[in-house]
Amino acid sequence: MKNRARAIFPVMCSLVMAAVVYAELKKGYYSPAELGALRQAVPIELSPDSNFQVSSYPVPAVDLAPGDGLQDVQIYCNTCHSPRYITMQPPLPAATWEAEVNKMNKTFGAAIPDDNTQKIILYLQAHYAPDTRKQ
Amino acid sequence: MNATERCLSRRGLLKILGMASSGIAASRWLAPDAGMAQQPAPEKAIETFTGPGANPHWNSVGPYVTEPQKVPLILLTDRPVQLETPRHYFRTAFTPNEAFYVRWHLDGIPNAVDLKDWKLHIQGNVNNPLSLSLPDLKQKFKPVSLAAVNQCSGNSRSRLQPRVPGGQWGNGAMGNAMWTGVRLRELLDMAGVKSGSMQAQFQGLETGQGPAGLGSNLFLKSLDLGNPVLDECVVAYLMNGEPLPMLNGFPVRLVVPGYFSTYWTKCLTWIRVLNAPDENFWVKTGYRVPDTPRGNTTPEDVKAGKVKMVPIGRLPVRSFLISPDGSSKIPAGMNVTLRGIAFSGFGAVNRVEVSDDGGKNWVAANLGENHGAYSFRTWESSWMAKSPGRYSLAVRATDEKGDTQPDEPVWNPGGYLWNRVERQEIVAGNAS
Repeated sequence: MKNRARAIFPVMCSLVMAAVVYAELKKGYYSPAELGALRQAVPIELSPDSNFQVSSYPVPAVDLAPGDGLQDVQIYCNTCHSPRYITMQPPLPAATWEAEVNKMNKTFGAAIPDDNTQKIILYLQAHYAPDTRKQ
Repeated sequence: MNATERCLSRRGLLKILGMASSGIAASRWLAPDAGMAQQPAPEKAIETFTGPGANPHWNSVGPYVTEPQKVPLILLTDRPVQLETPRHYFRTAFTPNEAFYVRWHLDGIPNAVDLKDWKLHIQGNVNNPLSLSLPDLKQKFKPVSLAAVNQCSGNSRSRLQPRVPGGQWGNGAMGNAMWTGVRLRELLDMAGVKSGSMQAQFQGLETGQGPAGLGSNLFLKSLDLGNPVLDECVVAYLMNGEPLPMLNGFPVRLVVPGYFSTYWTKCLTWIRVLNAPDENFWVKTGYRVPDTPRGNTTPEDVKAGKVKMVPIGRLPVRSFLISPDGSSKIPAGMNVTLRGIAFSGFGAVNRVEVSDDGGKNWVAANLGENHGAYSFRTWESSWMAKSPGRYSLAVRATDEKGDTQPDEPVWNPGGYLWNRVERQEIVAGNAS
């Protein structure tokens, strides 16, 4: 029993050491996943005809705060523009968000039903105002 | 294993680990990066938004994204597409097409243009309506080339205090290109503008989901026929000697030298001569600035209805330090070259000055090659940090009208016309 323990001990030690060495070597040499690499696009097929075409423009997913009204934002705001128009803004006062949503209806003809308009305004104020916005 | 043995083993383990660590330390000391004083911290991603204070970064903070015909640019929005040019692309007088910023208003932007069908239509209050193909434009008119800065009206909007809604651009919503094409005046003359006409309206291939007649359906801009800039406008089919990227307006875009980009209609397809002022949203309501010096006002005056608004026009004088950009230390006592660009829509830039004490004392910089009054003008200045420390470098330009960039902020509700003196902190490290 004693002999067996003595035999295992150096093996354990070297395993621990290997792990320590490995961890030490890895530390600081890799960027966090959020700074991940951008992959290159495959060049598109070209033919010598008169149609000058490029690939479709990418629409990456947008991280919107979870909460009441999120679905209304996704349905109505998304009709004309991606919700990145929301996340790009600095934190805006409650009155500014209300004015922005009203502008979409009155100036740009969004025709969002009153109930949903109200829910969208409350959602934006609850997550994208100076006192509510989170990184 | 008894207690003593266990204790010894623990000590032994610690000893081995200690040896291992010093071994690692030694191997690092012997490695090529031996000058490193300590283990570097991993890079962190930039914040996802800025505010309610001013954006402290030169560019905006969005992620990099690769769009067709473009190198990775900074994403503001994806639908419609708005992309900002990173700072280092402004080291040269001409901005590469693949790095040129992108700004659309409506989500229906073309992925394809079939040149068999595409025509530039000149119609409305004219004697001979025209429909010209791309070969017509190239063969029937004398080509002209002109270097001109294209700057978004909202460039640097993220500097405003208080912040205003809209595209939160840093400084990279601008670019300079050599534009080659046809004089707008020749097109209008061939079509024969009828007397009593007031404006020329420009429409591209951009469409939106909104109802007809509203700004969410079409993006339309107009210029007065009496505006002298019409004689300088070019309908460009080449940008830096190459076809325009689709995102910058293939096959042709309007170039309005000295004016903000809002007038530079992309994928220009209809030129309409109007006999009454254009009342559409993008002319009557959008892109308006206070009729005050520098377009400056306050939220209080806007609320009180005191501010008269007029259409945005020419680019106020601006200048930028491009490199060094403050991301690396500079050894004290070493001469480095400060490089940057300057421009004005009111006439050629004839003086650029640099300060290393935050704007107290100024030294004239050397101007680079002159590509014309509407182009970026590069500048250079040799500079040395005499001792280690933090230096506030500032740069300001003066144009031939005698206008010098002021060191006061601008505020208006649209977030337009920012042209304050730019500053960059540079850290000089001890070289010995």
